[in-house]
Amino acid sequence: MELTLEKIRLMPIILLMIIGCFGLLNSKSILRSLLSLDVIDTATISIFVITAASVGYQTPIVSIERYSSYSDPYPQAIILTAIVIGFATQALLCAIALRLGRKSPMLRYRDLEK
Amino acid sequence: MIDLQIILPALIFLPALLGFLGCVFPEIIFPLGILSLLGFATASLSVLGGDFTYAFTLVGEGGIQFSVDSYSFPLIFGSSVTLLIVFGLFANRFSHYFYQICLVLLTALFISFTTVDLVSLFISLELLGFCAFLLIADRNDKKSLFNSFQYLIGGGLAMLIFLIGVVQAFTFTGSFLLEDLVRAPNTALCLIIAGLLTKSGVFLCGLWVPNIYSHANCQSSAILSGCVTCAGIAPIARMSQILTPISDSMIVIGVISGVVAAIYAVFERESGRALGWSSVSQLGIAILSPTYGCIYAMQHGICKALLFSTLHDEDKISADLSVSHQSKSSLRESPHELMRVTVFVFSSLSIMGFPFLAGFVTKNWVKYDLPFEAKLIYTTASLLTSTVYARLIFDRINVFVKRRSRIQSNSFNLIVTVEEILLSPKNYILILSTLLLVASSFTYPSFFTIESIQTAVVSAILGGILFVSVVGIQADDFVKPVTRTLDLVGAPFLVAALLLANLLYFKI
Repeated sequence: MELTLEKIRLMPIILLMIIGCFGLLNSKSILRSLLSLDVIDTATISIFVITAASVGYQTPIVSIERYSSYSDPYPQAIILTAIVIGFATQALLCAIALRLGRKSPMLRYRDLEK
Repeated sequence: MIDLQIILPALIFLPALLGFLGCVFPEIIFPLGILSLLGFATASLSVLGGDFTYAFTLVGEGGIQFSVDSYSFPLIFGSSVTLLIVFGLFANRFSHYFYQICLVLLTALFISFTTVDLVSLFISLELLGFCAFLLIADRNDKKSLFNSFQYLIGGGLAMLIFLIGVVQAFTFTGSFLLEDLVRAPNTALCLIIAGLLTKSGVFLCGLWVPNIYSHANCQSSAILSGCVTCAGIAPIARMSQILTPISDSMIVIGVISGVVAAIYAVFERESGRALGWSSVSQLGIAILSPTYGCIYAMQHGICKALLFSTLHDEDKISADLSVSHQSKSSLRESPHELMRVTVFVFSSLSIMGFPFLAGFVTKNWVKYDLPFEAKLIYTTASLLTSTVYARLIFDRINVFVKRRSRIQSNSFNLIVTVEEILLSPKNYILILSTLLLVASSFTYPSFFTIESIQTAVVSAILGGILFVSVVGIQADDFVKPVTRTLDLVGAPFLVAALLLANLLYFKI
């Protein structure tokens, strides 16, 4: 398995994903797992963006002068939906955390899982 | 000539439209929703056995591809009938926006049954997750809120794993179509399958199922078990049809799920939780066979919806709902209760695969489709399932008999009983669904050989004997409910890793 430029570019994102998963599996309270989920979400979106930019990094918009190496617009368009859905999930989770916080303000799993 | 290209997408999005309109005009839309559900059920039933296939692209070239085929019709029929049963039985108990959520859920289900595009699948599964979240949180106490939180965070993570698999497949194939996954690397396949398995609630990923089913409202549990968990079955069946390594791994996972979850169900004391474990086990069996998996999931979904609807007697439900009805409900006559118990027994027998019921036919289909090595374990799983349902039937009848002796009703009068049963419209739904369960078994009379009937009856009797022998075992230490969030969230990772190891090294 050789180390190409694309794989090196993906390294920081993989690191980010590992951080997110570590946080999610080790979190003691609801808020921390919520933030970790957001980190994983960001990492996933970045993977899409970097994959799209592997063929070129210029804006994929047709105007009078055509760019020579523009990025792939397909994954970029599709990831917009995932961004919105991720945001909606976060909002719903925050609403639940707010409701749960009335009874147990620390939002610790230890108190809630009884 | 009707243009199917326009009609079919319109039909797919009709329930969502009705659902959103229903938020504004609740009284007008409810009958319309029931009518459309009836329409979907009859339309899908009429093309169920045939090989009608229609593929279309939504907006021109490069658009979203759908395929309405033999994978989608059984599941569409199953989810429409489940929703009809729930609407009919619990209509007076719906909280705000309950049926609207169900209608939006139906559109998400239709999309996930018909799409062959991975990104649309992702979107529909996320929409499904949100609707299921609202249904779980419908009871509105602390525990159900926390359950829904766990579901949402587990489901969200599973869908992110799915998305990573999709992008990896995209870098190799250049498209998001299911059929192009043949060229995708193994890692991508594992990630995609792990996401789908979590959504469909198969064992190890499906640890959330028993917790949620046992605590949610019974109408929510009926919908969750009848519709929501079926959503992952159609894409998994489509994938195992074209990818041999995936279909081999699905047999391993399905067999493990079928047996282990059934063992958990046998040793579980609480009825709702036992039904949840049994659901995990049945869906594990459904992913075994790509050809008949969808129809098996349909039969299981309808029976589970009936089971959850009739699991508790009406007193308990009313007592949960409000205390003020207590005096009124204790006077309620037992013919209705008798009807509910009968339906409970019939649908339990159907899941056990008893002859002359729908489950018998689907069980035999799956059985003949399996490779020989898996058949042995499949039989074990169905024996364990018989044990579970023998216990459930025993418990339910026990509760009924106790209640009867408490009420001290008059001597049994057949005519009065029948008259009272016919008075309530809810009983018509129960009678009709039972008759459907019986009638559907006669559509394929070729299965009714002496040997297969004998096998089914013996399996049911053995299940009863096994139940008597394990009823005394104190297994409370063995089956602790899995409630830790870490276990629920970490399971998809584990399954993805195991699948990858299987595809690369073990090659089972």
